[in-house]
Amino acid sequence: MLRATEGTLRTVAMAPVVKIHLPGPLRPYCAGASQLLVASGTIRALLEDLEREHADLYRNLCDETGTLRRHLNVFVNSDHMRDLNGVDTILTEGDVVTFLPAVSGG
Amino acid sequence: MADRLLLTIGTRKGAFVAEAATARRSFALRGPFAPGVPVYSTLIDNRAAPRLYASSCSPFFGMKLLRSTDLGKSFKETKSAPAFPKDDGRALANIWSLEVGDGRKELWCGVEPASLFRSSDGGDSWDMVPGINNHEHARKWEPGAGGLCLHTIVRDGARVHLGISTGGHYLSEDGGRTFRASNQGVGAGFAPDPYPEFGQCVHKIARHEKAPGRLYMQNHGGWADWTGPGGPRPNIGVLRSDDHGRSWRSIAPGLPTDFGFPIVVHPHDADTVYVMPLEPATRSCPGGAPALWRSENGGDSWSRLSRGLPKKQSFFTIQRDAMTIDRLKSPALYFGTTTGQLWMGRDGGERFECLFDALPPIHNVKVAVV
Repeated sequence: MLRATEGTLRTVAMAPVVKIHLPGPLRPYCAGASQLLVASGTIRALLEDLEREHADLYRNLCDETGTLRRHLNVFVNSDHMRDLNGVDTILTEGDVVTFLPAVSGG
Repeated sequence: MADRLLLTIGTRKGAFVAEAATARRSFALRGPFAPGVPVYSTLIDNRAAPRLYASSCSPFFGMKLLRSTDLGKSFKETKSAPAFPKDDGRALANIWSLEVGDGRKELWCGVEPASLFRSSDGGDSWDMVPGINNHEHARKWEPGAGGLCLHTIVRDGARVHLGISTGGHYLSEDGGRTFRASNQGVGAGFAPDPYPEFGQCVHKIARHEKAPGRLYMQNHGGWADWTGPGGPRPNIGVLRSDDHGRSWRSIAPGLPTDFGFPIVVHPHDADTVYVMPLEPATRSCPGGAPALWRSENGGDSWSRLSRGLPKKQSFFTIQRDAMTIDRLKSPALYFGTTTGQLWMGRDGGERFECLFDALPPIHNVKVAVV
């Protein structure tokens, strides 16, 4: 399921539209959507958009201080955000941003 | 419907609910709920129609609180979990304790980093308790091996006792508005000063509702052989207070070790108290032979209870909230192990039997008749 946020509609003319891909455990926090369309110029702006438009989803991604959760990985297309410019990574039209829990065992 | 016995079991991989008739002949197991997610705290709230609660603390997606209104057949997230204000600078790392408050819907919740939250609507919204969260000591507390956790909330009218690891025992006498460190007689083993004002690693506190002023504490013992600054500090691990927690004295002599995590009081006899002594290095029972120890005189002497438990080669730990006792006429003890066994000791621990032997590592066990 693909959904566009209200923020997308407001800001689409100014920022690139990117697709967010969400793993199964996060989908209940955005009405079951597996993908969201948002218009955001950076990861930081994307998170701010989610905080406004999808507060329940945002709380799963970031803690109270606004820090991305430690064991959550963020990819822009195939690249980990940390190998780019972190939350200041610039997004371009059509990018796919994927949130994935880190690999863990036990 | 006839009375049923419910157990809530918080594990490293979700919450389980076990149900039995009050004869306790067989238990039906449900779960896991929040599968795969650590559950350090559960609560059976019996004040009105029973509500079950379980914390669900995902290392990936953060903290949730789950609630069941159908005796643990299903759980749903409450509308919110405790959270620090954005400008506080702290972020919730775990939910360690849930207790009922006043009225029908008030709940109290202890978290990591050590802080206290209160809900007036059954867990749908939460407020920080500033008297402890913003206490002048709060930013000086250090985490223990399990994290910097507020793991124990004991309410006694206007008094509120908190157990913080490592912060010590904090006491409020005004319903939770203000707190003060109250650790006279509570030793610490990991500081040069054996009796600091605060910073002790309290493991658990218990009280009996019909023994005003009396409290029992399992503290972080195991420092009898310390030879560094401050010298040895034997018997600091198991303590008793008779003045509402203002001062504490050791009741550890007679135990094989003063280290352990849980401490439980018999529901019908304030003089009967149970601990599970553990070797401090391995955090397992001495000699690999599990046993509970019971005092029937308020800690003056202790006896070993092990009938039905393994006699050797058992090296599990029993965590601070993984032991409890029901309130039936002849109460049974229950304890869960880090190896996933849930044991029941009938007749106050006289005879043990294993109810489930392959659950995930168990953090928490609560019981109630509903």
